[in-house]
Amino acid sequence: MSNRLSRILTTIFVLAVVLLPIYWLVSTSLKSNREITQEGTLYPHVPTLDNYVRLFTEKQFGSYLTNSLVVTFFSVAIALIVGAMGAYAIARFRLPFAAERKVGLFLLTLRIIPPVVILIPVYLLMLSLGLLDSWLGLIATYTAFNVTFCVWMMESFFSEIPVDLEEAAMVDGDSRFGAFRRITLPLAAPGLAATAIFAVLVTFNEFLFALALTATPRAMTMPRGTATLIGRIDTDWASMAAAGVIGALPIVFFALLVQRHLVRGLTMGAVK
Amino acid sequence: MRTGTQARKYRLQGAGLDLALPYLMLAPGLTIVLGVLVYPLWDGLRASTRAYRYGSPVADVGLQNYLHLWSDAQFLNALWVTVKFVALSVSFEAVLGFALALFCLHEFRGIRLLRTVLIIPMVITPVVVAIVFRLIYASDAGMLTALSKATGGGEVQILGNPLNAFIGLVALDVWEWTPLMFLILLAGLQSLPHEPFEAARVDGAGAWRVFADLTFPMMRPVLAVAIVLRTIDAFGTFDQVFVLTRGGPGEATRLISIYGYDTAFKFQQTGYAAALFVTIGLVVLALAFSAIRLLRRVDAS
Repeated sequence: MSNRLSRILTTIFVLAVVLLPIYWLVSTSLKSNREITQEGTLYPHVPTLDNYVRLFTEKQFGSYLTNSLVVTFFSVAIALIVGAMGAYAIARFRLPFAAERKVGLFLLTLRIIPPVVILIPVYLLMLSLGLLDSWLGLIATYTAFNVTFCVWMMESFFSEIPVDLEEAAMVDGDSRFGAFRRITLPLAAPGLAATAIFAVLVTFNEFLFALALTATPRAMTMPRGTATLIGRIDTDWASMAAAGVIGALPIVFFALLVQRHLVRGLTMGAVK
Repeated sequence: MRTGTQARKYRLQGAGLDLALPYLMLAPGLTIVLGVLVYPLWDGLRASTRAYRYGSPVADVGLQNYLHLWSDAQFLNALWVTVKFVALSVSFEAVLGFALALFCLHEFRGIRLLRTVLIIPMVITPVVVAIVFRLIYASDAGMLTALSKATGGGEVQILGNPLNAFIGLVALDVWEWTPLMFLILLAGLQSLPHEPFEAARVDGAGAWRVFADLTFPMMRPVLAVAIVLRTIDAFGTFDQVFVLTRGGPGEATRLISIYGYDTAFKFQQTGYAAALFVTIGLVVLALAFSAIRLLRRVDAS
């Protein structure tokens, strides 16, 4: 009985620690600045949606959202296609000098290096290509980062699929690439989904490169736009909170929707 | 991480286009990576041996930038703050995550809710996590101050005080990343074999004995991987600090990534910043490779 009680208490405690900060964010976003600073209420006494309306009418949050969606979609889609092919090659072929293994290891090494390390040269590269403050510059950068772990994650998924199935398809007259496309790819779908979800999370949330590579609402992503708002108006807590809610909402909603695959993607690798 | 995949590889015969297929399949990905990651990496190495003025290189200075780092008090301070931050955060996350995973190992009502809720901190945009914590810590409008006032206290100072700001940053990281530790360790616990635990129960071993003699030794590899992953990640922490404290007050929370960013973009010392980042990259790689080697040895013995 005491065991059960301690379980309930622990669960409540953990839930409170996780949810209270989020409650405070949402609750602040529904208050007016006057209520926040002068009355210090624990919940919104006069709830208002003004803060949200202002974000979209005065602070260009519509553009930030569009930019984020476009950039995330293209960089994840391209990385998945390109990464799936590369991963398959590494999982199934043996090249001279074990080149395919070396490529895999090389990509993994690149993955380990913190992105901040190449921030300056990437900035200089985009500067020289005239791609600063554009969708294309962000898409190119994020695609490259995504490729490094897409290849690595998907390689392990492809390795799990028995090669006999492809051989059977090829005996039946399929080409090698056809066997990959029609047999292996669909079988690896859950793994690909886990990879895609992980890539979406990382890309949508990315801030450092968005900070360096974008400067106007033309290309600023959601995290970048949110951070800008903070820099400019230090004490507009209400807008800041509403921006936080809007900034986090799409990705939290997405994550909860695909929860099962997400956990698989996040914990993969570590346990293997 | 690649165990057994080599053994399961097959060599299939092919002709014509099929022979070129592996190269064709690898080419697009490699091209992107070479263009956008590897070339800049090389470019960064080159920049790190130069002196810059107004954003363009003016002189080759060899390894001077690298040598200068070690007599730069601000760099050394940033390094020290980073090491403290990583060590403290990751330790807390490992202990809390492990405890929580052990707690959740036994199915009970409410566990699904708990696991769902625990996903939220680690998927929220890091910038927003920082906003959340600014709203908690703010001395005028923060949750802590509001709670303190509701119970008769005064304003709570977090971000204005060096030590409190640092602790506040660690707390943010623990809040954000303990769930990941928890999920990895829970998956690890669930994949342990049942037999030894049943045998121990038959022998009448107590909970602590089971943990010390069975669970912990068997979990060591997973725990090590989780800690290494988090450590590497924490070393590059930038977003949260940038929004929460911008490195302040003073240099109390100025992590190495923030210092490097300011050096490059605020002070325009491109070459020096490049040398700084190359050094960080090498430190993290060395860390990762020695960890991998250590893990292999543990695996082998």
